[in-house]
Amino acid sequence: MRYTLQRLLLLLITLVLLSLFTFSLNYFFPGDVLTNMTGIRAIDANQYASVALERDINASFPQQYITYLGHILSGQWGQSLITQEDVFQTMTPLLGASLELIVLTMLLSMLLGAPLGIYAALTEGGSFDRIITGLGLSSYSIPVFWLAQMLILFFAVKLGIAPISGQINPLYDVPVTSGAVLIDIWLNDYPYPYAALLDALNHLWLPIIVLSIMPMTMLIRITRGAVLDVLRQNYIRAARARGLKGSTILTRHVLPNAMQQVVGQLGLLFSLLMSNIIIVEVIFNWPGIGSWLVKSIYERDYPILQAGVLVFATLILLVNVAVELFHAWRYPQVRKELYAE
Amino acid sequence: MMTAFVQGCSPASQRPEPLQQGLIYCSEGNPESFNPQLVTSGTTVDATSAQLYDRLLDYDPERQEFLPGLAKTWHALDQGTRYRFELRPNVGFHQTNWFTPTRNFNAKDVIFSFERWLDPTHPYHAIGGGRYPFFSSSGLRSLISKIEQVDDYTVDIHLRRADSSFLANLATDFAIILSAEYGAQLLQQQQPEQIDRQPVGTGPFIFEEFRKDAVVRYRRNQDYWRQAAAIEQLVFSITPNANKRMLKLLTGECDVIPYPLVDELQQLADTSEIKVTSAINPSVAFWAFNTERPPFNQPLVRRALAHAINRSAIIDAIYQGNARTATGMLPETSWAYAAQESGYVYDPELAQELLQQAGFPQGFSMDIWAMPVQRAYNPNAQRMAELIQADLARIGVQANIVSYEWNVFRQRLAQGEHDSVLIGWVADNADPDNFFRPVLSCAAKQSGNNRARWCDPTFDQLLLRAISEDKRSQRTELYRQIEQYVFTQAPLIPIANSLRFQAQRTDVEGLTPPSYGGLDFRQARRLEQEPQQ
Repeated sequence: MRYTLQRLLLLLITLVLLSLFTFSLNYFFPGDVLTNMTGIRAIDANQYASVALERDINASFPQQYITYLGHILSGQWGQSLITQEDVFQTMTPLLGASLELIVLTMLLSMLLGAPLGIYAALTEGGSFDRIITGLGLSSYSIPVFWLAQMLILFFAVKLGIAPISGQINPLYDVPVTSGAVLIDIWLNDYPYPYAALLDALNHLWLPIIVLSIMPMTMLIRITRGAVLDVLRQNYIRAARARGLKGSTILTRHVLPNAMQQVVGQLGLLFSLLMSNIIIVEVIFNWPGIGSWLVKSIYERDYPILQAGVLVFATLILLVNVAVELFHAWRYPQVRKELYAE
Repeated sequence: MMTAFVQGCSPASQRPEPLQQGLIYCSEGNPESFNPQLVTSGTTVDATSAQLYDRLLDYDPERQEFLPGLAKTWHALDQGTRYRFELRPNVGFHQTNWFTPTRNFNAKDVIFSFERWLDPTHPYHAIGGGRYPFFSSSGLRSLISKIEQVDDYTVDIHLRRADSSFLANLATDFAIILSAEYGAQLLQQQQPEQIDRQPVGTGPFIFEEFRKDAVVRYRRNQDYWRQAAAIEQLVFSITPNANKRMLKLLTGECDVIPYPLVDELQQLADTSEIKVTSAINPSVAFWAFNTERPPFNQPLVRRALAHAINRSAIIDAIYQGNARTATGMLPETSWAYAAQESGYVYDPELAQELLQQAGFPQGFSMDIWAMPVQRAYNPNAQRMAELIQADLARIGVQANIVSYEWNVFRQRLAQGEHDSVLIGWVADNADPDNFFRPVLSCAAKQSGNNRARWCDPTFDQLLLRAISEDKRSQRTELYRQIEQYVFTQAPLIPIANSLRFQAQRTDVEGLTPPSYGGLDFRQARRLEQEPQQ
């Protein structure tokens, strides 16, 4: 309980600092502060005057910040400088599209990475272990932007078995509600569900493979290390001495303890994945938060830029805290270690 | 390698239904607005004008004559200072989720559409920025004194003076007709800005959705007054990266792409699945100086720079034979074109001498703004800027290359933040006037379209004389003088006249690159069977 409170408090403080940062960005960006904040230009005299009042722009900084925070929390994120569209409403389907990639990538990496890591640890020093660790190390050192381009050239251009970009062939006019195309096809009763689904999956597999290479290889290494670590413990030797079957030792003693270390690293994995997703979204024209953020930098669209930073950082923070909380809840010894400090 | 592409695509008959009845055009950028009245960018015009709207009259570039559009007939009255248009009955506006028309197109819509840009007190005038760059810079706004409804299907337009380019300007992609009824509905709902975002027109396609950086989606207008479009669905898939556009064409994710990379044209043209077409483009690429900023306010400096750059080398490197060195603003295809000497000779020594006369023996440093996108007139402005940079270094002028995202780039240009810029102009109509007035007149400076920010009363006077005249031979002579004047003053240096290229899959037909104005998808269709290998 104390631990949970501690973590949540820390999360709250970080979020406040983050919002302070995005708030001050409005002052650091060139141009009019209120325009940077709301996307409404001074030429629109009426609207400008009304948002100036709404945002307490002439009050003291603390007062301005509190008003700013209120607007952020209630989803009033201003409008884009380029399209004049509401930033929050634009953001939600983009977040859906990004989450679709993130969730599927994490699933794939965990489903493949953890078992491979365990297997490598069990056959430590064997040829399979060497291949896996060798491949893991080399693919870990390949930059994502290069890998993405190479796989596009190979699978899409040379073999012609995957499309280059986008979520789905745009001729399938699947309405955008959640942003995640698989969910949208299902939600909206699209008239050609199977063809559309097939097409969407065909668009998905390449970016997911590119994205999951890094977390997967890291997961293999972490799992392998953790399992080897546990296998060297005295209680495993004791269990062997008591004559327990190998499979029982593995499922009852080794894996639960090894997973504790693995789960502890998931937050880090997620943060790395988030920095890669920006690159992958840009390369694959994926309509997600990452490409949105990059585009806003090119276009000097300040309201979107700060929204993008805010969403990204918040997502990373939330997932990290959630992982930590789960970790501490599932493995009480973690908490004890923390208190001992 | 090519066989791999062939295997990757299933025959047309096996494609799911939405794919058979639609067409994907991979456009090079986002449309800025869905109302071409507000813009001059070719990207926006391609995406909107001919698809969503109709004009009073159309122009046939082949036969060089006007065709009836929403106006059935027209006559010039009162020595060419009044034009009477008889409008077409039984033309309906689009029925969409956000608007259901209760009446057909009539004179009220013409008045509404014209007064929007003509009358500063019109309720819609200030919506969308209140700038109508084409109408200001072409002089239509100052030309038309009054527009008058005679009856439901007759409209009179009164001009302040006779103008031989008037009809040509009305036939451009900008002079479109909006729905007055939709305008009134939006005013009542207090969201007038929607008129340019959720457009309603009379054109062959109905707007469905726009997702920035992703797609623009149109559906066929079944009740179009001419023959309806052949395709059910038209999608603009926004792909700013030229390499990616080409790859997507190879994989079949795009059916048609504009502005393929010239370097790889040959490679594309070889395959039996892909066809490259081109049209002579009435366009000119130029390097404009901001004549408001010293030292570019001195004609001597501008001419020095003009002689310092090796234009033929630039054209070889950038266009690879798909363009011609511009001798002046007018391209060869214009009837007013007069063969001249090749313009500014490449002569660095002369350039240095001129700089010395102007008082810059040591040279100076300047910015060159290079467009971030490919245009028909300039496929690679960045590279062109680098070549110019190298040429300028030879005469002691140090150039920095500056670029921004396209929309931001143009906004900043309009505000005059540049020293010099590599950009160009695509004519909207066949009249030679269109190469000067929208680009270099004082009115164009006010609308922000005069990239040289050049305003010269002598020049404007010449332009006025040229359009008041209606004999071709006289006009040709005047345009020769105008070219000569631009040459000596050098507010900008014409670089190249190019061809507009388009690459497409061979199972698409009926879409040719336009020689004037924007694309028109009405005739585009997909062949039932893929051609035999």
